[in-house]
Amino acid sequence: MNKQNLIKITDYLWEIPKSYRADMKVPARVFASEKMLEELFRDRSMEQLINVTALPGIQKAAYAMPDAHEGYGFPIGGVAATSYPNGAISPGGIGYDINCGVRLLKSELNFEDVKNNLEKLAGELFSEIPSGVGRGGKIKLDGKKLGEVLNNGAEWAVKEGYGNKDDLNHIESDGKIENADAGAVSDHAKKRGRDQLGTLGAGNHFIEVGKVEEVFDGQIAESFGLRKNQTTVLIHTGSRGLGHQVATDYIRIMNKAMSKYKITVPDRELVCVPFSSPEGQKYFSAMAAAANFAWANRQLITWLVRKIWAKIFDGSKLSILYDVAHNIAKIEEHYTRTNTDNIQREPASSQYKSVLIVHRKGATRAFPGQPVIIPGSMGTASYVLVGTDKAMEESFGSTCHGAGRQMSRHQAKRMITVDRLKNNLKKENIIVKAGSIRGLVEEAPEAYKNIHDVVDIVDKAGIAKKVARLKPLVVIKG
Amino acid sequence: MKKYKILPHTADVRLKIEGTTLEELFEAGLQGMNDIIKKEKVKVKNDGGEFKSVEVVKKINLSATDTTSLLIDFLSEALTYSQEERAVFTKVLFSDLDEKNIAAEIYGQTVDDFGEDIKAVTYHEANVVKNNRGNWETVIIFDI
Repeated sequence: MNKQNLIKITDYLWEIPKSYRADMKVPARVFASEKMLEELFRDRSMEQLINVTALPGIQKAAYAMPDAHEGYGFPIGGVAATSYPNGAISPGGIGYDINCGVRLLKSELNFEDVKNNLEKLAGELFSEIPSGVGRGGKIKLDGKKLGEVLNNGAEWAVKEGYGNKDDLNHIESDGKIENADAGAVSDHAKKRGRDQLGTLGAGNHFIEVGKVEEVFDGQIAESFGLRKNQTTVLIHTGSRGLGHQVATDYIRIMNKAMSKYKITVPDRELVCVPFSSPEGQKYFSAMAAAANFAWANRQLITWLVRKIWAKIFDGSKLSILYDVAHNIAKIEEHYTRTNTDNIQREPASSQYKSVLIVHRKGATRAFPGQPVIIPGSMGTASYVLVGTDKAMEESFGSTCHGAGRQMSRHQAKRMITVDRLKNNLKKENIIVKAGSIRGLVEEAPEAYKNIHDVVDIVDKAGIAKKVARLKPLVVIKG
Repeated sequence: MKKYKILPHTADVRLKIEGTTLEELFEAGLQGMNDIIKKEKVKVKNDGGEFKSVEVVKKINLSATDTTSLLIDFLSEALTYSQEERAVFTKVLFSDLDEKNIAAEIYGQTVDDFGEDIKAVTYHEANVVKNNRGNWETVIIFDI
């Protein structure tokens, strides 16, 4: 597999045709610049994308976003849609951190209003919001309460007083997937989640206070309630140990059940069953429950952030711009093509609509007019984009999810010194509070692809348009 | 001889393990995994007090379609117990182990804190085979 196997469709969209490998059911498509393609061939993400094209019931094409990198089974930064209800559902197409996602809060205050209190704000956010490896929170849930969280997501949190009703209008799926069933979540998973609600976790999860540094589309920015120099708070976390355990449980179940449905996959992490099968239905109910847990988690963290913000800034309020999941499967209606061999683009009207199971792993929903939040690597920049009609035509209403890792954690630790990282952040006037220095170096910007390049590609390809860029002021990490 | 080696991977941690018997291989996997999650230095608590570690014993009984799945499922279950009990497991006693079944007890100590958060033990690239030295070996990738 190399660049010669790719057909150029546009400057930012490439295709590996179905003829490349006998088991491909649809082509593989990659959103990238020519320069970025070189990077994509450095790891096994392209081979993994081709494996995805062999999934039972896959429609149209398997997609890789410009931030794609090697995952396990699916590449991270991948989108795959299968036919409903008999196509495959694959936990590997969602990831272990179910509904890992981002939420952006917007403030009434500008940078000038907060600049003298940033050190204090950083200190309080770090001490009040539990973060770090396996760290538990202040809220301990009994079995009944946890069941309510799993079934009702952010709606539960709002009902309990951790937010207001309007918050739910600014969350993907209103912060609750309806078919969630706490009964499909194992006792192990529940035990791991019991004390993790309202906790950030470790790894690449963070809270980032920022300011709007540049506005690209004034009209849309205004409709989003964003303006230059306005302060924002970005929350990046997921379903914690509960979601990891749900994924582990069902990958094991499907590994055993797959032969019953005569499914074979080139990589065990791609295990899947028909969505309509008992195992598929149960996984989807458990995944939805874990997704709800993640939305309740981000809602609780929002509540904590709002309390601290109001305390420091004299009762000032934070409202939610939007909350998006970037590791999830959704039942959605999309246009599909009758002839998948035809690589010529057709207008949406000449296609027909069908119900699909859309897997987004390290990819963000980007429906027309919807805010899309893209967190950058630590200390660089984050972006607000808007979903487009073109995303509906080209990528099942999906776009990128972040910068995408390009250096192993080990390599990052070897190549980046703590002092250099701290100096660079200081030069940029970014305050960092982190539980682990080791964790900090692993997440250094050099370990990631350039966020500006990634966002430029999706903007030029039209599968989301740039609205605003955010500059980090404070970063809180586990 | 150390039966495991931690190798770099783009977003995760890769562990290479080897054993002359399946028992040794499974034990190497357990020890390697727990070497990844344990904290490098034991932290003194904020109040100056010392963390009192206690012993934890857990039973693991599993069957799987093949040895690779059995190993991954065994490590997944041990990881789950690590998270639930906040413990690091380093010893395993087998009452039964063949290519598709395991009955074992794992022994560990509770910890104050972990050094690394393993989300999951993955099947990705895992393949238990006999190498040219006649030993069992495989690579295991952890999602962190």
